[in-house]
Amino acid sequence: MAVLNITYQGQSADYDLEIDYAASDADIRRIAVEVVRSGGVRGLHIAGLGDDAFSFYVVDRLTSSTGEQRIYLRPKVPFGGR
Amino acid sequence: MRIVFCGVGALGSTAVLCCRNLDAELRLVDFDRVESKNLSAQWFVKQSVGKNKAEAVRLQLGNFYGIKAEALGVRLGAHNAAQLLDGCALAVDCFDNADSRVALSEAARARGVPLVHAALAADGSFALVRWDERFVPDREDAAGQATCEGGEHLPMIGVVAATLARTIQDFVRTGARHDSMVSLSGTTRTA
Repeated sequence: MAVLNITYQGQSADYDLEIDYAASDADIRRIAVEVVRSGGVRGLHIAGLGDDAFSFYVVDRLTSSTGEQRIYLRPKVPFGGR
Repeated sequence: MRIVFCGVGALGSTAVLCCRNLDAELRLVDFDRVESKNLSAQWFVKQSVGKNKAEAVRLQLGNFYGIKAEALGVRLGAHNAAQLLDGCALAVDCFDNADSRVALSEAARARGVPLVHAALAADGSFALVRWDERFVPDREDAAGQATCEGGEHLPMIGVVAATLARTIQDFVRTGARHDSMVSLSGTTRTA
């Protein structure tokens, strides 16, 4: 079990992920599309989300100070705002 | 304590402004020059146009607040990173490209200097403030991608810079190393 946090178009929400923490990045992106489309992520429901919506997103795997395993699916952040 | 800000564009210049009351010496590193278009999203004033960015921030801190800082108008790379970090107890990465971030990370790790990164998405909708031990730099999707320089992202830049400044403040006061992510819906501490 892990918590998947998805950030899309500036909105961010958590989803309880009932799969192995070590699932591949491709699996995480696929699952994210499905759960956002289906309305499974509270506050982040986009019925028409494209299959490739998260293709260029980064998957971060972090363990919190309380031992909770969290997976972050997020946009790339290349800039300091030059 | 001496803190070096690497990159004083949008995030860096605004974060320096928010760190002006810290009990620390500030070192500013940036090779770039202030352009008119920067005035809409970076902490520069009209009189700074044409000046080196590090020098411009140094002058503004001195003229507006009577605060002294050190300005180094050079491009940080593997050849000079160690020298630019010399004597610093904290490094702050506000660069806009992965190569500079990597050079800074390698130098900071080699010298044992704590390093915190701040980084923005191209569309200004998301950002990270993350300590070096948990940070991997992202590269642009395409060379020459837009870099949040339009004024429409100024509120987000302000939130991210303030989050970074608070992170620096916490570190200076207690040694804590907090990570945060910033989206349009709010700021979340992630470590």
